[in-house]
Amino acid sequence: MNGYQVPPYSNGNSGNGAGPSGNGGGGSGPGSKFGSVSLLSVDPPNINERLPKEIILRVFSHLDLVTLCRCSQVCKFWHQLAFDGSIWQNVSLFEYGKDITGAMVETLAKRCGGFLRSLNLRGCQNLNDSAMRAFSYHCVNLERLNLSDCRKLTNEACKHIRSCQNLLSLKVNSISNISDDGVRYLAKCERLVELDMSWCNISDEGLTRLAQSCRHLAALQLRGCRDITSHGVAELSRHCTGLRVLSLYECGHNIRDEAMQALGANCPELRTLCLSHCGHVTDTGMIGLAAGCGQLRNLEVAGCRLLSDSGFQALARGCPQLERLDLEDCVQVTDITLAALAAHCSHLRILTLSYCELLTDDGIRQLAGGLCAPESLQVLELDNCPHITDTALEHLVACHALQQIDLYDCQQITRSGIRRLVGHLPNLKVHAYFAPVTPPGQPEPRRRRYCRCCCSLL
Amino acid sequence: MPNIKLQSSDNEIFEVDIEIAKQSGTIKTMLEDLSVSDEGDEEVPLPNVNAAILKKVIAWCTYHKDDPPPVEEDEYKERRTDDIPTWDQEFLKVDQGTLFEIILAANYLDIKGLLDVSCKTVANMIKGKSPEEIRKTFNIKCDFSAEELERVRRENEWCEEK
Repeated sequence: MNGYQVPPYSNGNSGNGAGPSGNGGGGSGPGSKFGSVSLLSVDPPNINERLPKEIILRVFSHLDLVTLCRCSQVCKFWHQLAFDGSIWQNVSLFEYGKDITGAMVETLAKRCGGFLRSLNLRGCQNLNDSAMRAFSYHCVNLERLNLSDCRKLTNEACKHIRSCQNLLSLKVNSISNISDDGVRYLAKCERLVELDMSWCNISDEGLTRLAQSCRHLAALQLRGCRDITSHGVAELSRHCTGLRVLSLYECGHNIRDEAMQALGANCPELRTLCLSHCGHVTDTGMIGLAAGCGQLRNLEVAGCRLLSDSGFQALARGCPQLERLDLEDCVQVTDITLAALAAHCSHLRILTLSYCELLTDDGIRQLAGGLCAPESLQVLELDNCPHITDTALEHLVACHALQQIDLYDCQQITRSGIRRLVGHLPNLKVHAYFAPVTPPGQPEPRRRRYCRCCCSLL
Repeated sequence: MPNIKLQSSDNEIFEVDIEIAKQSGTIKTMLEDLSVSDEGDEEVPLPNVNAAILKKVIAWCTYHKDDPPPVEEDEYKERRTDDIPTWDQEFLKVDQGTLFEIILAANYLDIKGLLDVSCKTVANMIKGKSPEEIRKTFNIKCDFSAEELERVRRENEWCEEK
């Protein structure tokens, strides 16, 4: 009480320098903590009298949702401040997941109003379409919306989302009720730059409609959209020529060479492409892609078993910027591919060659003598390459930047070979497993691989 | 390095290296706009900051003189308050009245880094507390009626259920 006779904040931030509150008005000595104030049984200063509204709002802007809700119960003034839209620009309800229901979301939408720019509702599985109506009605300035895994939503939700005309980034992946009809609505959000529709129920028709109106798309995830064919991808490439990231992971057998050729012809900016488990693409497609996508940094073609050396030679020549290449289970790949990568790709950082069973020590020798070896190559996955021996490891000593090597089930690799390699590269992480000498147990189940391009680049 | 003289509200003069003083957007603008001479014979009056607080602020600016200039905030980044540097944490272990005055000074002098860490320090005093504990900490009187209190409690029930 004593010493805290301060003019109300409306009188400006006078600091009240000469006043009795001065330095350490609580009488606490240097280095004392907040607690000492109450120890001296002096009331702490009233924050609402000391700090102007703008500063309290600034403090609130550092608070999480739960704390803000508690603040709203402190007093009338804080109740008003805690619901000031300016601090509700960026809301994430991800951690609340299933507990979130429509009624809560509606209240929230009203509170946030036009201030809301970014909303994350990922995994709110009980959310229904009408909740989206509330958001699209109250929060027209939304720029980023994440609805991943909100499984109850349907095409009806897309109808509401279309009024968010400022939307730049939208994720509706794993909402299987969304079909071409829904995509037709989403296509009205013409400013979209980033879109994830993985595992939605869409076909070429929806994709084409989308591509025709959302010309600014730079990142598009279509994982597991098995109805999409080369025709849809070709339409996409024609309209969205600035595409930088595209995932067609597990889109299946309808993705063929025409899709890759169209990307090569129309999308020179493409940086990241995932075609893993689109098993019908061949070298012809790869040659077409490499001819036009010289900026490609990141390519995944795991499980594309028809691809072979001539395709990858073209890739290495046409895409010298490659940093990451996943060739898992490209069973036709031989040492010739490694020689081409060694000769052209100096930035190669991560190379996955798991299950490329034709590779030999000589291929590794060429890689280790290549452009990427001295500084770039950091991760090399060689698991399940049966012809690789300790000799390969001796070549790899030249890869000074190597941080991780995978050697599971390389039966000719020995412990002493690994020991020698680690002797030269002491920071290397080696992933290997040597079964106990006693009877062989169950072979290790084949590891499930995930799609690496899913981290979007905006 | 040339110095400038800063004059506190209680007329104490502080001589400070110009580069250190320029972390204050307010002082920087004064120097540029008003072409206050940097020969050091004129005092820059700071009528909103007393000597005790100005001394603290100068200490902070001196310690942080080589910090990179503050970057534009990414508005989508996570809200964090656990990233206050250790030195700043120690620096801000002061009584609440002083902390508020530092905030006001940082605001008036436009020193974004100091404003941020001091506001985050207050945010940390709020976090993890019940409404009643918050009232005690900041000496706030609850002006809700019993019915109103019940209503706002119910309004926010959902985020407590987690």
